[in-house]
Amino acid sequence: MGRRRRRRVDPADAARALPEAIAVLTRTLPTGPSPETFRRAKFDRPEAAPALWRLLFCVLSPMPADGASPSLALEAQARSVKAALRFQGYPRRALAQLPDDGSQGGRELLLALAWLLARGPTLEQLLAQSRVRLGDEMPVCECESLASPGPAVPSVEADGCVDTRHLQWLMGKLRFRWRKLMASQQEQCALLGKIHSYTRGCHSDRSLGHLSVTETELLRDPEGGQQLLQRLERENVRLEAALEWRRRELVFWQWMDTVLGACPPEASQPTFLPEIPAQGAAELELVVRELQALQEELQAAVEPRRAAWEARVGGHGPEWSASRRALQEAVRQDLVALQWAWERGGGLTQPHEPHRLVRTEAGAPEGRGLQATEVIEVLRSREACLEVVLGQLQGQCRQELARLVGTLPGLIWIPPPGR
Amino acid sequence: MLPADCSRRLVAELRDALDSCAQRQRQLERSLRVSRRLLRAWEPAETPVPEPTPGPETDEKVPSSAFTACSPSPQDLKELELLTQVLEKAVRVRKGISKAGGDKDPSVKSESLAASPATRASTRLRASGWTGSHASETKHPRGIRQTRVPAKDLSERRLVSVEDPTCMGRGARAAKVEPRHRSQQIVPLAAPQAREVFTLKDKGILLQLPMAFRKAASQNSRLWAQLSSTHTSDSGDAATTAKNHFLQKMQTTSGWPSSRLSPAEVEAEVGRLRKACSLLRLRMGKELTADPKDWMQEYRCLLTLEGLQALVGQCLHRLQELRTAVVEQQLGPWPEGRLPRASSPCGGGADTIRSPPLLLYSSTQELQTLAALRLRVAMLNQQIHLEKVLMAELLPLVREQEPLGPPWLALCRAVHSLLCEGGERFLTILREDEPAD
Repeated sequence: MGRRRRRRVDPADAARALPEAIAVLTRTLPTGPSPETFRRAKFDRPEAAPALWRLLFCVLSPMPADGASPSLALEAQARSVKAALRFQGYPRRALAQLPDDGSQGGRELLLALAWLLARGPTLEQLLAQSRVRLGDEMPVCECESLASPGPAVPSVEADGCVDTRHLQWLMGKLRFRWRKLMASQQEQCALLGKIHSYTRGCHSDRSLGHLSVTETELLRDPEGGQQLLQRLERENVRLEAALEWRRRELVFWQWMDTVLGACPPEASQPTFLPEIPAQGAAELELVVRELQALQEELQAAVEPRRAAWEARVGGHGPEWSASRRALQEAVRQDLVALQWAWERGGGLTQPHEPHRLVRTEAGAPEGRGLQATEVIEVLRSREACLEVVLGQLQGQCRQELARLVGTLPGLIWIPPPGR
Repeated sequence: MLPADCSRRLVAELRDALDSCAQRQRQLERSLRVSRRLLRAWEPAETPVPEPTPGPETDEKVPSSAFTACSPSPQDLKELELLTQVLEKAVRVRKGISKAGGDKDPSVKSESLAASPATRASTRLRASGWTGSHASETKHPRGIRQTRVPAKDLSERRLVSVEDPTCMGRGARAAKVEPRHRSQQIVPLAAPQAREVFTLKDKGILLQLPMAFRKAASQNSRLWAQLSSTHTSDSGDAATTAKNHFLQKMQTTSGWPSSRLSPAEVEAEVGRLRKACSLLRLRMGKELTADPKDWMQEYRCLLTLEGLQALVGQCLHRLQELRTAVVEQQLGPWPEGRLPRASSPCGGGADTIRSPPLLLYSSTQELQTLAALRLRVAMLNQQIHLEKVLMAELLPLVREQEPLGPPWLALCRAVHSLLCEGGERFLTILREDEPAD
């Protein structure tokens, strides 16, 4: 490696550069580990291990937004780190073989941390996740929606069999929570509107105009305000460190290269314990089934249409072939756009970040931000789409049930009122 | 009773949905508490008043605790019992007038129907009054005045004296010099008369943020801006090369085939395909309901449907690949417990690295519409997800069971209600007695 040799140009500088880079990195990281931990980890010293397990735990499972982070025992943290790394595809098996008690693994943990940092803007994401939020924010995308599209975690306690009444009861409970949520949400908006309009003109930032709840609260509760200020100042220190890290990280990566070089290569075929991917596989099968159903429906729709078309359109003039080509091209582009919507995660042309709510006076100049009316419009059409989808699914079920019971004599089905 | 597998899956899904609602409710209630307190009377800087005894609002925690239990309470079962009774009664009533049957009865029964609109409305009214059960978590609110003093005319007279700009300036400077002292943090709004009542409504307009805070906040947004600007321009330099080299070296020394998908990647891919499926279905619906005006449009519609067919084929092919990958590599894609999303598009994506952009609204009503729609979309997404899960688990049961027995009829009715009516309404099944000939 030519790069390694280049360091000799100024040995004194290089000797200082690495500790400085590491010090900057530790200032950016959430738990603020001691730089000495990194040096010990290189030599795989056990005393570095607990701090690094804890650090990795913080990096991999950032604090939930409501701050309710369970303080897990080191052993649980270690297990969680291993699972999370494997989930993300971390290649080294040596880490998985470390004991769960968190007593060992200095070098392996250092490598894992470097792997996470090298893969993406991990530091920036960590900073963004723990950002001190001063404004009243509202996301405009629907990603953080209630429907956790991921697989549900099977409950730990074995439930055994339940009755459909239990499901109905749970469903009723869910509807009740929805209503409660809606009522609270409306009240919160009313209060926000008041606070914003009562404090208009109070913000030093002209583009914001009024205070947010957090800002007003800091005036009401000076002690809390003091804490908020301290958090903000700590964040500023971390942000400065992150900027500094960008300038200095090269030497760290050269060093990590030597750390990795000191490890013996791992045997080729990993032997993983087979697991039963019940929940995930069920998720996958669900999508397969949905797509198969869709394919059948499409086939049923296309075949007669194609046949009718072929029968009717016998001979068109030469101008037809030109317009046919144009149509084909238009449809192709149309479908490419559709495909793009799911592949790029687009669909709605909306940004994914939360927005700070700002109340404007009527007739204020536009163009400083996103207008609520625009978002409302997008949401309305989204709502309509989803209602159609739900209606289709329910109709599908109605048909299927009607088919199943339709053949049975002696039964009269009275649908519930209101439809 | 449902089979164990099915029970486990459905209960897990429903609990998951309930949990995410409850979490959102908790967040909302936290901010509601803060906002309500701000709109009552408070004193910006003076001596803290001992916390008033909590009003009837704050210690009402009945409903949430009643609903955190894991199995139906006796009351719930009783309600279901009543529900069944109502339905049985409906059966006795002639089928033609079944529509009005339940509602006409003014007794307990109509109230026990969870779906009755009247009950729902009253629940909502009550719900809006709850402040939740977390009052004990928050620290002592300072300076709360429980009483709403009619201070309007009083304060209006005082506005003139308080609005003195030098007064504010002094306050700001004081905060900068000695930020430790609470009394100096805030603009001294109140003139010597200490008992003056402050409400946001009357005097909120006079508030000003402390200088130290303003400085920190502006530095903060400057730093975020810097971080996001170098973030985009920095790629392609020596550090990036070094990082890539490191990743590659780790891959090759680990003996892990680089083509192998991680569970996180599989999950993300399945999520994309799920989204693809719903987009394709929507599009199909649009094409099928379209009414072509001429043969050009008709042809276009046909081409689109055929194109959709091809896309569905591609998606299915990709899913098969994923399925094989999961099975062959014996890679348990979703380990125990919910793990943080590897690359959730929001909350952690690269585009969140800057201070938040603005969302402008012009009236409270507009804000309420926006929030209600957001919630509505979220609920619909959740409902659709549950519908699919329930369909996949329950419909096969109806198909497989021996028809016509009472358990089968009960199952049919329950499934119909859950799948076709969102669990809100029930159908009635009448069995025609065999004519005794």
